[in-house]
Amino acid sequence: MAPLDSTLTSNLFAIGAERLALLGKHHKALMQGYLDGQVDETTFSEAALKKLIAARILWRPDEQQPLALRPLVSELIASMVADENRRQINADVAEKLEQIRNRVQAYRDAQYKGDYSVAELQLQRLTEHVHDLSGQFEEAIDSLWHRLNSDFGFVSSLDEKIRENERAQKQLRRLLDGLDLLNFDELIELSEGNSHLRKLLVSQLQNQLSSHHSSLLEVQKRLVQLLAKFRQQQARSMLITNMAAFLRQHPKYQPADYPNRSELPGLFNQASAIRPQAAIALDKASERDILAELLQALPKPNRIELPEQHSASFAELMVDEEITARQQALKTDVENFYLKVIDLGGKLSALDYLNEQQLSWDSEIWLYQILADYQALPREEKQMFAIRRDEAPLSEVNQLMLIRDIQIELRAA
Amino acid sequence: MIQHGPLLERLLAGDFICQVSDEDAFRHLSNEQTQQEINHYLRPLNRRLVSNDDHSVFYLGYHELNKNAREHLSSQFALTVQSLLPLLEWLQLVQETLGRDSALTAGDTIKLQEFVLRTEDNQSLRQRLQTLASDRFFNSQSEQLDSQVKLIFRRLKEHGYLLQPHAERQYYVVTGKIDYLLDVIRFIRDEEQLPVDDTPSQEALL
Repeated sequence: MAPLDSTLTSNLFAIGAERLALLGKHHKALMQGYLDGQVDETTFSEAALKKLIAARILWRPDEQQPLALRPLVSELIASMVADENRRQINADVAEKLEQIRNRVQAYRDAQYKGDYSVAELQLQRLTEHVHDLSGQFEEAIDSLWHRLNSDFGFVSSLDEKIRENERAQKQLRRLLDGLDLLNFDELIELSEGNSHLRKLLVSQLQNQLSSHHSSLLEVQKRLVQLLAKFRQQQARSMLITNMAAFLRQHPKYQPADYPNRSELPGLFNQASAIRPQAAIALDKASERDILAELLQALPKPNRIELPEQHSASFAELMVDEEITARQQALKTDVENFYLKVIDLGGKLSALDYLNEQQLSWDSEIWLYQILADYQALPREEKQMFAIRRDEAPLSEVNQLMLIRDIQIELRAA
Repeated sequence: MIQHGPLLERLLAGDFICQVSDEDAFRHLSNEQTQQEINHYLRPLNRRLVSNDDHSVFYLGYHELNKNAREHLSSQFALTVQSLLPLLEWLQLVQETLGRDSALTAGDTIKLQEFVLRTEDNQSLRQRLQTLASDRFFNSQSEQLDSQVKLIFRRLKEHGYLLQPHAERQYYVVTGKIDYLLDVIRFIRDEEQLPVDDTPSQEALL
């Protein structure tokens, strides 16, 4: 039996390896076929097509139909790339359970007969079945989480998301029903008296399945929450659309006067705004510094200084004490000059007076101040004096008149 | 109460506080103890905290409904009713323009530039935007798409429906006041028994 087995195995190995290689050899065209739902036969040679069909990778579902990937191959790809649109969830537990029972029986039979190599083989197959069963749940849970975490982003509309969510919930219920089929009392019974079996069927499988069970319940909770969220969003969208349509159709629509109902709905109780105002407390000494700072920080107004209307004495704006004193002295001297004119009762030259009194003023300033004082006199007093400027042009070409001297005369009253 | 000073000021100024507009303040307001304290404080001002049904947004209402209060509420209500259609149309327009599969909710982000770009190339969206912008709620006088959009978003910001996290960056976050708006609509619909559905018909479900 053993040699026959090994030839079978080596045969299997050769064929399997060759056919897996086919997948790799035509990977691009096959993947395109997965995406399009059918393969483009012109991209393959005739021999290649035959091989792919023989390898049960491609098939023709119907005579009229183009060649397509076999469902199992599509499923393999979907699972590899986590394509939630196509990924299948296999929730069939009963079949797996039946296989496990049969394998345990075959293993025990072989052991009973003392055929240890067969027993070994059966144990290996049994291990595979147990892993398959656990892997089936793992794959399903992975797929469900994947869909949840992407918010069902693989479909575009909210309606589709809701349908996908409901489909996922049905799958989940089937998985949970499948888990219920597993009766650990039976598994304990099956593995009785054999440590290998007990380890495999009881400690290992039980551990895995109980963790799957809690994962599934968690997924279920999240799916229900997400569905509620989807439904809420859907309700919002519909409310917005339908209310807008209603208002467009009834432009004069006016709802009842809710604000004046005796029982005011909270929604419409929206008080008017109060804006608290505050100013610096002048009675608080500690805030004086702040006030001073604020004052300084105030932008300085760009005021245009208007010329003041009183005396035209040009030097009055100066504040320096020394200058003020000199200014005062000048004014006193000019006043004395005017008094002299009055005393004299006749004409008096300003520059002559300056020389006569041996005053130290610059002649130009002296004349200027005499003019200024004259201008500053009240109108009646101005009329008491006749002023005569002794002036001449700057040069023959420049008609700018320069004042050389001033004669002040007291007019007869 | 000291630590709630800024919050009180915002509430008094008529702001709506939600998780988006002020997360910390919202957390404080969700605490019943704080609510009581604030209400106690606001009592002499004839104000109290009000929230919508699912407590996602807080604002101030009158404690006692005297004549002045009623008058204010009446004019406020008139404004709200007037703003319903433009706001609903704006919600629809944003949803369609940005190709979203659901209506805007609190926390959603809208990039102004994206909205302008998508509207620019689509004659019918442009038309609708133009009509919306010239509605008296937004009251745009401009012919330019860009300034119409900017004005609409600025108005919505002023009304508290949108938040602009950075003054220089043109993106906006929808606040919880949108929830309030929908609550108002739902309330009016229920009260007046308007023929406005928000659940899909049985056929659509099957």
